[in-house]
Amino acid sequence: MFFRQAGIFHINYAADRALFPIPADRWMVGTLLALAATAPLFMNTLYLSSYMLPWLVWTAGALGLNLVLGWAGQFHLGYAAVMGIGAYAAVHGVRHGIPWEIAVILGGLTASVIGIGFAFAALRVKGLYLALSTLALQFVMDWTISHVPAISGGTQATLQAPDIRLLGWPVTSDAGLYYVALVWCLLVTTFMLNLRRTALGRALVAVREKDYAAAVIGVNSFYYKLVAFATSSFIAGVTGAILVNTFYHAVTPEQFSVDVSIQALAMVIVGGLGSIIGSYFGAGFILLMPGAMNTFISWAAAQFGLSLGIETLAHLPQALYGALIIGFLLVEPLGLGKIYNNVRDYLLVWPFGYVKK
Amino acid sequence: MEQPSVAPILSLNNVEVIYDYVSLAIKGVSIEVPTGGMVALLGANGAGKSTTLKAISGLLTAERGEVRRGEVTFLGQSISGMMPQDRVKLGIAHVLEGRRVFEHLTPEENLVAASAVRSRHVMKRNMDRVYGYFKRLHERRGVASGYLSGGEQQMLAIGRALMTEPKLLMLDEPSLGLAPFLVAEIFQIISTISKDEGLSVLLVEQNAVAALDIVSHGYLIENGRIVMHDSTEALKRNPDIQEFYLGGAKGKDFRDIKHYSRRKRWLT
Amino acid sequence: MDAVLLLESAVNGALVGLMYSLVAIGIVLIYKSSSVPNLAQGSMTMLGAYIVLAISTGVGAPIWLAIPLAIGVMFFVGIGIERLALRRLAGRPVIMILMMTLGIEIFLRAGTMTIWGGTSRPISLGISDAPLFLGPLLINRAYAFGAVVALAMFGLFVLFFRTRTGVVLRAISDDYTAAWSVGISVERGVALSWAMAAVVATIGGVLWGSVQGVDQSLALLLLKAVTVAVLGGLDSIGGALLAGLLLGIVEGVAGSFLDPLLGGASRDLVDAAMLILTILIRPHGLFGRHDIERI
Repeated sequence: MFFRQAGIFHINYAADRALFPIPADRWMVGTLLALAATAPLFMNTLYLSSYMLPWLVWTAGALGLNLVLGWAGQFHLGYAAVMGIGAYAAVHGVRHGIPWEIAVILGGLTASVIGIGFAFAALRVKGLYLALSTLALQFVMDWTISHVPAISGGTQATLQAPDIRLLGWPVTSDAGLYYVALVWCLLVTTFMLNLRRTALGRALVAVREKDYAAAVIGVNSFYYKLVAFATSSFIAGVTGAILVNTFYHAVTPEQFSVDVSIQALAMVIVGGLGSIIGSYFGAGFILLMPGAMNTFISWAAAQFGLSLGIETLAHLPQALYGALIIGFLLVEPLGLGKIYNNVRDYLLVWPFGYVKK
Repeated sequence: MEQPSVAPILSLNNVEVIYDYVSLAIKGVSIEVPTGGMVALLGANGAGKSTTLKAISGLLTAERGEVRRGEVTFLGQSISGMMPQDRVKLGIAHVLEGRRVFEHLTPEENLVAASAVRSRHVMKRNMDRVYGYFKRLHERRGVASGYLSGGEQQMLAIGRALMTEPKLLMLDEPSLGLAPFLVAEIFQIISTISKDEGLSVLLVEQNAVAALDIVSHGYLIENGRIVMHDSTEALKRNPDIQEFYLGGAKGKDFRDIKHYSRRKRWLT
Repeated sequence: MDAVLLLESAVNGALVGLMYSLVAIGIVLIYKSSSVPNLAQGSMTMLGAYIVLAISTGVGAPIWLAIPLAIGVMFFVGIGIERLALRRLAGRPVIMILMMTLGIEIFLRAGTMTIWGGTSRPISLGISDAPLFLGPLLINRAYAFGAVVALAMFGLFVLFFRTRTGVVLRAISDDYTAAWSVGISVERGVALSWAMAAVVATIGGVLWGSVQGVDQSLALLLLKAVTVAVLGGLDSIGGALLAGLLLGIVEGVAGSFLDPLLGGASRDLVDAAMLILTILIRPHGLFGRHDIERI
């Protein structure tokens, strides 16, 4: 009904391989973009800066992890550490007088260099062992960040993030920060959407499916694993820097601990491996879920006259979060992105459900 | 076509198997294996031979397949919907394609693992029996099975199946990747076991020449359908079988290739 | 630093290491019998300790009764995990299975906290605090007891994997389909391995709980356990034993050297470094099997 395919005949390859070949999709994307661009006009600043902004930034982060996990098929349990590297590098850069834009890119590049370190683990081992070695690297990074005073400013220290200055203009308003996040998220999304149509994207998928089989047909799997980790780490680093600058306004080691890595992983799994729209869903779901759960639990407790201890309230959302990961893996292993696609495919030919796509 | 005189130990009646709710792998297959007899199921790649065997042994569920229609009867009892281990307990043994031995276990441990459905005191007896048939396994019983040669692994796979005390032994391409003399040796042993113990055998093969030497009946499966069933002698005489499966046709030219496709179409 | 102090930290380290192996053995058990990497062992250890506490304080049962009862409960928890979470994932890619065990880890840990709260509680096995004197060395009595239990468990499991059931479990981990084809009940085998891991987790939880108190930090033993399991080779019981000893000694000695230099908390760093080095240099560990990959 919403995605009518009738009357669409692509007469050249370019049209068929367009990002959004179906007009209904183009309309939807256009509307969403317009809404996103005008959000500061009609949206409460509280919602804007405490829901929309982290959602956009984390979506960019989830997309970066999806690149290495969903596309190249390489495990990465140390994603938060890489984000942290980017954040710290950018903050230190600005403090040393480097312009903000360049500092953020420097942060991305530093993260990229560290990410290549992760990639060298990926060149040696895969699957379970890769997961464990990236997990160990996460611990090493955590330790290094918090124990080297030159980076963290001493144990338990909080480093203030300097204000953003874009081309010399200070960006401090909520709307301004929101646009920074929006632009970055759109940049990453465009990159990921186009990846599907490039040789790089196809090579990554080949490596994911079977790396030695890819090697046999001439895809240099070492090189592409390296590229995947480097690119993903760049995205992670910049995302970390933007997250710190626009949302936390300060940087501490705990913001990038192993729990955050698992949270990023959960975003990708819940959203759907390799799915771009899924990353939006996944990030939103994982970010909003604990708050929504808390509200719901307090409401339910009030309804049934139960008094829940502070401990229970603190841990119950976490438990439900674990249960959700389990539930998604059991019910729809390809996540929300797959559910969206199922609905879309159904509506595409509705009401003629028997039509083959 | 002559009917087997004894009651069949296994019969498939119009069995249809579907994978992943979508792809129909076999369409209405009916097969009978006489008690104590040896029957071959011949066919090309992807004809549905392995699927038929998995429908009998119950291994379809692991591959998201299911028997959608028809009935599998073993010893007069319907076994559709039974778990694989219960079927093994009844006496159905399935030797998988590509050998699939437990690589990190020694041959002896392979045999021990395979006796899970039988009681402990018959295990030793069965093991001696298997070592009796396959002397080489006894010599190599202490090394990891992954390091055995292809022929030895195939012997181990068959020996492993024998540990379950089967009444019906189903072999999926035992000749795969083996030298002709080894194929002959293994087929000889199978035939001996069948004669000595009254074991019924259902043999799936692409190597029709070797298979037709030891069985009494053959079924021909193409595109998921049984297209021919006859005694070995009749099959060997059949010009189509000779041409397509026994490599009998000589000196083909382009017209013969056209002829081939025409005849193939007729077969299906 | 004098030699006696060094030897003392090595010996105590070795004993602690054996207790690490006790947690690691749960991972090894499950990997050896179903090829599933179990990242939930840490929280299973914690849950075991909490159940012992709940039985001994809630019902008022003496500790020697509470432990076997808790073992019984955990046995069924293990079976339940297989039935509810893992059965449907059989044959899926390792990323899904790994994520599943991570999900179970989060769920069990937070669930335990939700029910019992996060304050640390003591669990007493009646072992005195007075150190054991071995010549000039002072040895922690609780660690020594834990090490003895760990050794006993190892003996038990080495023997178990020689029995028919043990061989069947190893066969399952080699090839699910082939195991089905010879009549092995794969589901029951995997469930049994989870049940055994849960039992071991309970014992490990009690021992660790008696040493450091029962709280959320028990779940953090996962990192040590994973390091030990990988270092020893994921499917080797003896390997886990030796790797535990090794890690304990290295940690103890390195800890007493590095802590003053690095300002504490160097043990976790040593763990992570050991894990990374093992994976990079010898991924299958000291005694693990080589996985053969075919094209």
